[in-house]
Amino acid sequence: MAEAQSDKTPSLAEDYLLEKEKQDVATKPVEVKEVESAVTASSVEGATDKVEETPAAAAVEESKEDAPAPAPEESTEASSASPEDSTSDTAPAAAEESSETTEEENSGDQEASEETPDIKLETAPADFRFPTTNQTRHCFTRYIEYHRCVAAKGEGAPECDKFAKYYRALCPSDWIEKWNEQRENGTFPGPL
Amino acid sequence: MIVLEWLFLTIAACDAAEPWQLGFQDAATPMMQGIIDLHHDIFFFLILILVFVLRILVRALWHFHYQKNPIPQRIVHGTTIEILRTIFPSIIPMFIAIPSFALLYSMDEVVVDPAITIKAIGHQWYRTYEYSDYNSSDEQSLTFDSYTIPEDDLELGQSRLLEVDNRVVVPAKTHLRIIVTSADVPHSWAVPSSGVKCDAVPGRLNQISISVQREGVYYGQCSEICGTNHAFTSIVVEAVPRKDYGSRVSNQLIPQTGEA
Repeated sequence: MAEAQSDKTPSLAEDYLLEKEKQDVATKPVEVKEVESAVTASSVEGATDKVEETPAAAAVEESKEDAPAPAPEESTEASSASPEDSTSDTAPAAAEESSETTEEENSGDQEASEETPDIKLETAPADFRFPTTNQTRHCFTRYIEYHRCVAAKGEGAPECDKFAKYYRALCPSDWIEKWNEQRENGTFPGPL
Repeated sequence: MIVLEWLFLTIAACDAAEPWQLGFQDAATPMMQGIIDLHHDIFFFLILILVFVLRILVRALWHFHYQKNPIPQRIVHGTTIEILRTIFPSIIPMFIAIPSFALLYSMDEVVVDPAITIKAIGHQWYRTYEYSDYNSSDEQSLTFDSYTIPEDDLELGQSRLLEVDNRVVVPAKTHLRIIVTSADVPHSWAVPSSGVKCDAVPGRLNQISISVQREGVYYGQCSEICGTNHAFTSIVVEAVPRKDYGSRVSNQLIPQTGEA
């Protein structure tokens, strides 16, 4: 709560806008730029180290990495800077500290991503065939779509992977188990 | 501090029920904020009407006294007032209905693609949560059971009948899809701070989409009589920053992939 108050109070719409959307909105808000410039030095190094790609791609990568960071980053800097306005010589030190911490965080992220399976926040998208609260048929349809796809394209076809991902995201594992059993026994009720 | 508590004003964000609570818990999602705002808006007009009606009633009782004023005015007709007192009360609910329905349908609507799906499956008497976005086969799944901590095992500071052993961890400021269903009898998945109360019906998947705006721990209870231990089927949602969510999930995935 203190973060929200220390920041300049945003409008309700801004308040509820997610960080990702903020970047998608192509207006390039000034505050994001500021934060980027403050953090850039460390994060650019990290990004280029990780991916040997064209600068543009690296920049995209960097902005992606920064995406969740800006708000807390900014607020912590602001809060640390405000009491130290009177003694201005400590301000650079504080800035250094913050850049160090971001560096540490970045390196920590990299280590984590190297050690562990990469976690991408991604799931079955909203389907406009199923706009209601009741998603039972959504799960069922995705399950059928996957098995039809496999039947048409053959086992392990890469096109079918997304359907598998979708139905696994939507269906309880008990149901999937039951349906798999039914398919083996030839008693599955759906049109396969 | 104590005085403030007497006045039912709390300083910290209120994400769980507390003794003598009269108002709402603090909003953690835009949905709950909308519900609270609608409640306050309606209550403003509700109290105006209440005062107006009470005034008429009390005035009538006061003035038509059997000794002071034994013969009341004998008005049996009045076209103007009859039209007015028919039209106005029928317009008021219409004006209440507009924001109410707008909120209701906006709560149902899924505007953006959710980033993660969590399945909340009710059992007698615990809850199972499945995070299946990271599966590469049907079996491998980040699944855990969430039991209410028994009264004897509570530690200091934990809430009775609210605390669970495994919390649902969700990333904050992210669009979530929660699929609510049940494996036996009807349950309900309700978290007041996020403005969610969704029935868990066996054989049916109910979807709610929420976006928790601030990190915190949110408490809820089962809201559908589901058997003897209905009271021991609580819900705890822990919202963490996105970064922490990623590391948390990957840490939990490692042992599972190792086993499989």
